[in-house]
Amino acid sequence: MHIPENYLSPVSCTVLGAAMIPVWVHAVKKTNEELPGEKIPLLGAGAAFSFLAMMFNVPLVGGSTGHAVGGTLIALLFGPNAACLAVSVALLLQALIFGDGGVLAFGANCFNMAFVLPYVGWGVYRLLKGKGDGTVRSCAAAAIGSYVGLNAAALCCAVEFGLQPMLFRDAVGNALYCPYDLSVAIPAMMIPHLAVAGVVEAVFTAAVYALVRRTSPDLRYERILSGAPEGGKRSRLPIFALIAALIAACPLGLLATGTAWGEWGAEEIAEIVVGGKTLGYTPAGLEKGWSLAVPMPDYALEGVNEALAYVLSAVIGVALLVILFKLLSLVMKGRRKNT
Amino acid sequence: MIPDWLKGEERAAPPRDRSPFALRTLKTLGGVLARLQIQRGREGRLRISVLGKLLLLLALLLCLSVARHPLLLLGVAALALGYASTLPAWELASVLRPALGGALLTLLLVLPAMLLRPAGRLNNVLVVGKVFLSVTMVNCFNRRTQWNELTAALRRLRVPGVFVFVLDLSLKYIVQLGGVMVDLLTARELRAVGRDRHKYRSVGGVLGQTFLRSIRLSRETWEAMCCRCFTDDYKGL
Repeated sequence: MHIPENYLSPVSCTVLGAAMIPVWVHAVKKTNEELPGEKIPLLGAGAAFSFLAMMFNVPLVGGSTGHAVGGTLIALLFGPNAACLAVSVALLLQALIFGDGGVLAFGANCFNMAFVLPYVGWGVYRLLKGKGDGTVRSCAAAAIGSYVGLNAAALCCAVEFGLQPMLFRDAVGNALYCPYDLSVAIPAMMIPHLAVAGVVEAVFTAAVYALVRRTSPDLRYERILSGAPEGGKRSRLPIFALIAALIAACPLGLLATGTAWGEWGAEEIAEIVVGGKTLGYTPAGLEKGWSLAVPMPDYALEGVNEALAYVLSAVIGVALLVILFKLLSLVMKGRRKNT
Repeated sequence: MIPDWLKGEERAAPPRDRSPFALRTLKTLGGVLARLQIQRGREGRLRISVLGKLLLLLALLLCLSVARHPLLLLGVAALALGYASTLPAWELASVLRPALGGALLTLLLVLPAMLLRPAGRLNNVLVVGKVFLSVTMVNCFNRRTQWNELTAALRRLRVPGVFVFVLDLSLKYIVQLGGVMVDLLTARELRAVGRDRHKYRSVGGVLGQTFLRSIRLSRETWEAMCCRCFTDDYKGL
């Protein structure tokens, strides 16, 4: 679901980026108000979950790959506003260091995965859960919420892709950016996400949420909102042990070969067969478009074993996210003191 | 009977006065020295032998300096950042601030080379990254190691006793004398009223006093050592 560089026109990127600015401002303000200072460093752990979830690629129908995002999970733990910030930071790191998702398309990726996904997922969860607080009901609501959230984000992504050939074409009628219109993009994105990626997201969210409910119930957003007492200092060991286990297991994500739909490189897009037809040309925007030289494109380094590079990328990514949110907690603490 | 001049409201508005460059520099230098946090380390929950930590740090620094293979660099980066991420937020800030400062300074130094020779940009970025990681690792070590244990570890590495002794005392004195310098300059500022045209005379005074204080401190240390049966022999260190 990471939109690469040059698949969307600069105009689309600008519009979606501009749409995200008020969302980010609102999210920062609300997070500052709602989340206690000591919880902000833990938001880094939430962002780490999302980062790792995005590294577990699963094979999808049609030969492409997909992944969970974990946005709804963070929304359940820290609220949709904090989830928006956490996923945005994880996406920024992926774009700048690992080349996963474009830098120009950062606003669009954030719109889909950091805005639509957590807010829709959280809304559906609240709707389904109602006033009960049973573990089964909550976990089922979390699973369905995350499933709907991921598919809503995939739909937005498909619409963004599908609008490109309708809006931007060259003199001979070839698409300048993403070449597939809505009739191709929506089924191509939605069928695999409805069938597989959504299920993976639902299972991931429900499993981690069940663990957190049992080991660190104070970490739930509903408890933070209701102002329930902390109940003493709890060990975060199970959460960090789970992160370590996910890091160790992340090379499993390499087993799924193939490129995710809509994430092909400029050199392979001309050969892609969709609906029995080969595209036959490389869109001009992709061929001549701008791209940033990132230090570790696709979580790999030349001359380094692929699985090892993947694990080390996961460690570096998770460490950077935890460090960033710990530093952010200091800034927010300072601000609260000043006000 | 209160005299009239004492009843009247007085508005003292001494002309603005700025410290000359030399004094300001001395004060900044003293402040930096006094703030050197070389002896404030404390062990984390996970206690590792200091000698092991020191050897690991030296090995990692060596690896980082000579390594050209990306795997080694990636491994050291993962280790250093992974360890740093376990530090509490306030400690993390004091570890990363100098590391970012060092990296920024290096970036400024290599910037002309990066602009003039774009082909070597990757190497230049590597140098900046290496500086950042090295400073981060040394800072993490400093934060998580007590100074007296480090002295003991150096002795176990067969570093000559006199060297360890001089190193230990020098670092202690640097911090002490930095504080003395700041105190002297603050006292001078508090006592100065209005515009002082002969401030440069104080520069020599401050430096001279600091030097005299250092001699007194070293004599006191020497006497304290003699009282504790020191016989000019560093073998027992």
